[in-house]
Amino acid sequence: MFAVEVSELKKSFHAGLWSRRVTTALAGVSFTVPRGTIFAVLGPNGAGKTTLLSIASTLLLPDSGSVRLLGFDVVREAPRVRERINMVSGHTNFIWSLTTREILDHHGMLYGLTGRARARKVESLIERFELRTHRDVAYNELSTGLKQRLALAKALVNDPELLFLDEPTVALDPDISIRIREEIARLRRERGVTVLLTTHDMPEAEFLADEIAFLRHGRILAQGDAESLKRQVKIGDTITIELDGLDGSLDLSGVPGVLSYRSENGRIECVADSARKRLPELLRLIRERGGVASDVRVFEPDLESVFVELAK
Amino acid sequence: MNHAIRVVAFTKKNWINTRRNIFTIFEIVFWPAVGVLSVGLLTRFLELTPETSTFVLIGTLALSLVQICQLDVAYAILFDMWGKSAKHQFLAPISPWHMVLGSWLMGVIRGLVVFGLLAGVARLAFGFDFFAPGPVAVAIFLLGMFLTAGAIGISVCVLLLLFGLRAEVSAWSGVSLVLLLCGIYYPVTLLPEPFMTLAAWIPLTHFLEAFREHFGFSPVFQSPLLKGFLSVGAYLALSYWGLTAAIKRARRNGLLLRLSE
Repeated sequence: MFAVEVSELKKSFHAGLWSRRVTTALAGVSFTVPRGTIFAVLGPNGAGKTTLLSIASTLLLPDSGSVRLLGFDVVREAPRVRERINMVSGHTNFIWSLTTREILDHHGMLYGLTGRARARKVESLIERFELRTHRDVAYNELSTGLKQRLALAKALVNDPELLFLDEPTVALDPDISIRIREEIARLRRERGVTVLLTTHDMPEAEFLADEIAFLRHGRILAQGDAESLKRQVKIGDTITIELDGLDGSLDLSGVPGVLSYRSENGRIECVADSARKRLPELLRLIRERGGVASDVRVFEPDLESVFVELAK
Repeated sequence: MNHAIRVVAFTKKNWINTRRNIFTIFEIVFWPAVGVLSVGLLTRFLELTPETSTFVLIGTLALSLVQICQLDVAYAILFDMWGKSAKHQFLAPISPWHMVLGSWLMGVIRGLVVFGLLAGVARLAFGFDFFAPGPVAVAIFLLGMFLTAGAIGISVCVLLLLFGLRAEVSAWSGVSLVLLLCGIYYPVTLLPEPFMTLAAWIPLTHFLEAFREHFGFSPVFQSPLLKGFLSVGAYLALSYWGLTAAIKRARRNGLLLRLSE
């Protein structure tokens, strides 16, 4: 069963005099997310990532299309959806004068937790996110990292089955980002929470996500796991081979899996769909022509390269 | 669904902010006390009769009660707007009535504190006894004031959700709009005819008339209590409908998100 089913989702915003200036945020987005997985949505600024998450979390109404979360429609069955989800964004704010404990307690009340159950939940979240020494500190006195830990703690106050994370580590120090990522991974591992994540951060997506979608101009341009995305955009792995005993160039045009190559002055630089698959064949070909590979270097593109390619 | 705890969540939030906010002291103690004292002294200076002074003091007290209570209802949304945290509230499985009722309850508590304080000041400084009509009449008067404040407070929330923080000023000035028409400081008979008709549509006019009747003033309109409760019920229903529509609109045009940025 899918935790998230998004179908032909469209959303535009109107601004200006008589609402004549129209900005299309989502132009027909569809995807599904299996339960217990982490799905990352990557894209440049203005791609529609936050709009997508806001619709899914019932904060925004779509123009058309549908989103079903855990079997419930986010428009028609919003109250049932809200009981089962929660959200963290990278720019989270809470009422400045409330303390860490009061913020968690207030949100526990909003989710219907009563008496001792709420007190236990608040204390366990304070422990889990190491907020003990800051439990009675007002929100506006917390550091950015502590604020983000509090936001994540608040998002778990109702034990959500589905968690939305909108750029959860943006503007955080690297060490705090790593801790937040580890906590997210732990949530999925230990509780089976489904996570829908938006991020700019390629390593974050690669570390956390089972599946990644690239969003641009409100459309999904590519979708899959990190490896399949690299294949989809046909970036390929770059193999550089330094040759001894082979004069002139080597013709690789008929070699399967070689997407492009350049061969000159005893050096071959070729782009292949998969270095692991194609390297033995290339080395065999060089040996057949009487050459010896003195140095072999392989560069496997990361998600960033995919992102750059897709953003072109 | 546990409704009571969700309602209390908003009462508690307003209580905590009341405790922490120095301006609350001004809202609850300073301005209302200054209002009653200055108006009371003015009645002395103008050498008004005890009856006329009573008329004016009842109006002054009513204005303070409505102002303080409606502000708490507006705080249901205002605090989260100021804190840029509105989306957490609307992400949670709550209904608008949880927000409104919870905040209104804190408004009632603050209103009762203000009433006790002002009644004491009026008694000590000017010898005026608000409790003279008896506990039932006072309770009905207070209920009318608090329900009116509820309707005004919800209307302020509607404006905030339609226009964002640009409508913030309405939280403090909303009451002033009805002040001119409902006979706070003077009888509505002084108003020109079309405005007198308008006054008849304001619940506060009727609740004031009903309470002043206990002090010997004849009501201008028939059955003031019945009209007061009927009209305030209608305004509460109308403003609540407006609130649900404004929330839906804010979800459609993205204002809820902008209020959290």
